[in-house]
Amino acid sequence: MTGQRTIGVTVNGTRHERAVEPRLLLSDFLRHDLGLTGTHVGCEHGVCGACTVLLDGEAVRSCLVFAVQADGRAVDTVEGLAVSGVLHPLQQAFHQAHALQCGFCTPGILMTLVPFLREHPHAGEREIREALSGNLCRCTGYANIVAAVERLVQGAGELGSWGAGELEGQGADAPRGAAT
Amino acid sequence: MIVEGSHTFPGPRGVVWKMLLDPDVLAKTMPGASTITRVADDRYEGKMKVGVGPITAAEFEVTITLSDPVPPERYRMLIEGRGRFGFTRGNAAVTLAEDGAGTAMHYQADLQIGGKIAAVGQRLLDTVSKMMLRQGLEAMTREMERRLAEGTA
Amino acid sequence: MSAGRYVGQRVLRLEDAKLLTGRALFVDDVQLPGMLHVAFLRSDEAHATLRGIDASAARARPGVVAVYTAPDLGDYWRPGPLLVPPPPIPGLVFNTATQVPLARDKVRHCGEPLAMVVAESRYLAEDALEDIVVDLDPLPAVTGLEAALATGAPLVHEQFGSNLAAQVRQATGDYAAARAAAHRIIARRFHYDRGASAAIENRGVVAQWDERVDELTVWDTTQAPIPIRNGLAAMLGLRESQVRVIAPFIGGGFGPKIMMFYPEEVLLPWAAIRLGRPLKWIEDRRESFYATTQERGQIHDAELAVAKDGKILGVRDVFLHDTGAYDPYGLTVPINSQCTLLGPYVVPSYESEFTAVFTNKPIVTPVRGAGRQHGVFVMERLLDFAARELDLDRVEIRRRNYIPPDTFPYDHRILFQDFRPLIYDSGDYPAALEKAAEMIGYERFVREEQPRQRRAGRHVGLGIVSYIEGTGIGPYEGARVTVEPSGSVRLATGVGTQGQGHFTTFAQVVAEVLGVDVERVQVSTGDTREFGWGTGTFASRGAVVAGSACHAAAVKVREKIVTLAAEELECAPGDLELVCGRVRVKGSPEHGLSLGELAVKANPLRGAVTPGTEPGLEATAYFGPDRGNAASGVHAMIVEVDPETAQVEIKRYVVVHDCGTVINPMVVEAQVQGGVAHGIGNAFYEQLIFDESGQLMNASFMDYLLPTALDVPTVELAHIETPSPLNPLGTKGVGEAGAIPTGAAFAQAVEDALSGTGVEITEIPLSPGRLFELMAGSQGAGEPGSQGAGDSRSRRDGA
Repeated sequence: MTGQRTIGVTVNGTRHERAVEPRLLLSDFLRHDLGLTGTHVGCEHGVCGACTVLLDGEAVRSCLVFAVQADGRAVDTVEGLAVSGVLHPLQQAFHQAHALQCGFCTPGILMTLVPFLREHPHAGEREIREALSGNLCRCTGYANIVAAVERLVQGAGELGSWGAGELEGQGADAPRGAAT
Repeated sequence: MIVEGSHTFPGPRGVVWKMLLDPDVLAKTMPGASTITRVADDRYEGKMKVGVGPITAAEFEVTITLSDPVPPERYRMLIEGRGRFGFTRGNAAVTLAEDGAGTAMHYQADLQIGGKIAAVGQRLLDTVSKMMLRQGLEAMTREMERRLAEGTA
Repeated sequence: MSAGRYVGQRVLRLEDAKLLTGRALFVDDVQLPGMLHVAFLRSDEAHATLRGIDASAARARPGVVAVYTAPDLGDYWRPGPLLVPPPPIPGLVFNTATQVPLARDKVRHCGEPLAMVVAESRYLAEDALEDIVVDLDPLPAVTGLEAALATGAPLVHEQFGSNLAAQVRQATGDYAAARAAAHRIIARRFHYDRGASAAIENRGVVAQWDERVDELTVWDTTQAPIPIRNGLAAMLGLRESQVRVIAPFIGGGFGPKIMMFYPEEVLLPWAAIRLGRPLKWIEDRRESFYATTQERGQIHDAELAVAKDGKILGVRDVFLHDTGAYDPYGLTVPINSQCTLLGPYVVPSYESEFTAVFTNKPIVTPVRGAGRQHGVFVMERLLDFAARELDLDRVEIRRRNYIPPDTFPYDHRILFQDFRPLIYDSGDYPAALEKAAEMIGYERFVREEQPRQRRAGRHVGLGIVSYIEGTGIGPYEGARVTVEPSGSVRLATGVGTQGQGHFTTFAQVVAEVLGVDVERVQVSTGDTREFGWGTGTFASRGAVVAGSACHAAAVKVREKIVTLAAEELECAPGDLELVCGRVRVKGSPEHGLSLGELAVKANPLRGAVTPGTEPGLEATAYFGPDRGNAASGVHAMIVEVDPETAQVEIKRYVVVHDCGTVINPMVVEAQVQGGVAHGIGNAFYEQLIFDESGQLMNASFMDYLLPTALDVPTVELAHIETPSPLNPLGTKGVGEAGAIPTGAAFAQAVEDALSGTGVEITEIPLSPGRLFELMAGSQGAGEPGSQGAGDSRSRRDGA
């Protein structure tokens, strides 16, 4: 149970090497070992979606992934969305549309929507709602989240600038940073 | 949870009776059973592993106490199981009737399930218990067929 | 307070940036050097005698620092405080039994904590839970409310001799006379079942004892940090000034994060002091289904005495309220049910009696709506049935019974949960109804749309209901406003915040008064070091009570600014105005000072100051309302029911809402939308299902279904503003509003969609499975035009 394995994971473009227990969840690895507490844990059984991060660019529930499974791979978290203090267009849209209240589920929702919008840059309301249906929010009743995404999808100029994979530029495909 | 059903064994009632109360047969045929020991005339203790949905291989320590046995017709059982994922306890009644060359068994159990296994495995409990029982009875039937064929029954 | 540069405006939230970028601090994000982790062993049994606990193996496990059971707590073991004593209602019976930190002699609900393990990691602490051997001797459990009161029922608390937790009767007018004079008596039994608050952030506590300064710091997911500080200090024998409780960003509250003094809240600080190391406990989701309080189990036997013209003559309601295994929150929930039933209606006579019942289920305390749902459900359903029997339009029967807009303040002549008379401050109920009917297209729907759809084989229905929410109760809140030399304004208040937008709305109030940019107002909430007086965020009171205190403090600071500036600028105070962070002479904008400059002048380093003056541009003020105020509204929805599968789709949802003066419409609308989502969950998806032995059978989000983005429509919303005379802002609460009438609207709409089938809905939640059963049960019971089962029951005597 306590045998340790050394893993190397690139998180938000920076490579980290750590010795971890095989049973350590990726969510706990990010939060406890790396101090990236923007990823939140809401249910630990893969339903609420609060812990969603990108693993090699795809949205995964980090509470259902062991840290050792991320060995040699790239993880993107909410902390990597804004660059130099400038909000990502999706974050900006959430702010403009009042798409968050307590904000606890928000990081997971953002990280769900990033790859969704990459693949569905012209998504309609129904598609947006389906994409969101794996993320639970108790505060907002979802309406403003949907509105935020619609706003972004309709503002084609904004979307064009990042929909083509800007995030990957900061994350998975970025030059590997120094090990920490 | 009520578990109720019937099963027909291909052999005589006396053989069925003996097998149902034989700890070695039970250990061999009940799915997930690792050990079953007869600790007194009317008392068995054993260990079983059960998988229910998100809970994989929960180990239970099980105690079965027999009561009101009327060989080879019927008996009752008090069942108590406890493990890190919860508990089960309840009563079961088994009756055996001659049915041509075979034996018709009827069973009814009223089990209370508690703890994690009840809380997060509820949707699957019914299915899992039925499946385990079916597997067990089928395995016992095969064992009986084997013994009858070998003449060791 | 009328609309201005900020008040009444859609100011974007100031707290968003932190939350959107993952920088906001939630309790689970607190990391301290040397921190240990805590896990709790909880009972698998709902009712059992505790014969013993052997924790020796757990204590011996490497990585385990301590294991505590009830005897280890010594004198610290004691039942929690009674948080809300019963109101002074004559004849009231109340049996107090509050939760204990760790079970000592018996357990009374599943999930009750038995032992506390402290270890180097949460993983190790949970490993050690499995080493603990518990000897529990199961007892028969009580789960049903009527069964709990039956003779010979197992007793949750032996000392009371029964499971009766409370009995309260309130009455006004002469109901017997009303009943005798009635044209019809509409009587039904109504059920409302339990749900979970299900904040996405579970509860958590971090406690740290700093022996260098003899101070305890507790980070707590609480809605009420100040009462928690005060209580902890008393329990631990510390001065209040030695205890700091911080409620940082909280991931949703919804009621159960109130000042509960949960076992974990009480034990972590105690153990942190003993061990001299910081401790963290974060509830997991399964724990939350047992260890966090719940709400909503009630059974009502109610009857409405109604005249031929549909006028209400009186209401009688006798109900049972499930308080769970303990009743630390007193009678708030059932008294809310009792009072809220009266709604926006003139009810000349009212008899209401409830019995609160102990059961072997988790504790019941307020959850968003806090008992108001039940009252609204009962009254609105009774009116629906009355309308049907009297062949009156649903909207018309409501219209005929509304409290007229010119009769405020309106006294219902009973006592509300705040121990004050239930007097409505302001409202315009007919206007809200007309507006909602117009928005949802009521007339057209009833006359054209529904018949057309029905001919096409589609079952669509409309629900339209009214409600009152008593909000903004006392006792008081406070705030401190400080203008700093930088010109930015610091605002501190004691209430905790769980997503309501306080960082923005409170800043709007202060910015309006001080004439500064709203971004210059920095708000601190929920840190007892910053502000130590107040109660907390509950009862939809944050904006009303704390908002008014912010206003009062800002007004005092404004007076200081004007007084000092008048001296500095050598002009009359009345000639000054505060604009864009400056105080200046009206009509002579270049003649002025920035507030920052003035703040420096107000804090001189040398020289004499005028005796009696205070340094700085700072003021603290408090606000306590005379009584709660009455927010109100009308909800209308259109649903379609699939008669084959009993699936219900909500096609449209309209809310007309009156919370008095709106500080930030964007925030208010979002609160309502979120409340409606919660209400939809309660109405159709969410139900905690216990078996008869008290086992919760759906303790995960796989089986306990929260509404998703596919289930909640975007609400169409309109505001009506009847300012409250009870506070300077004129505002009323809104936090719970959306969730309150949803069940009633849903029931009416579904029943309307199934009209002619005889289905009558008297229970919530109404899952597709349950609706299917009701539909199957009523097959053939009624042809179109018949009232089915309703007729036979409507004349029966009431409970």
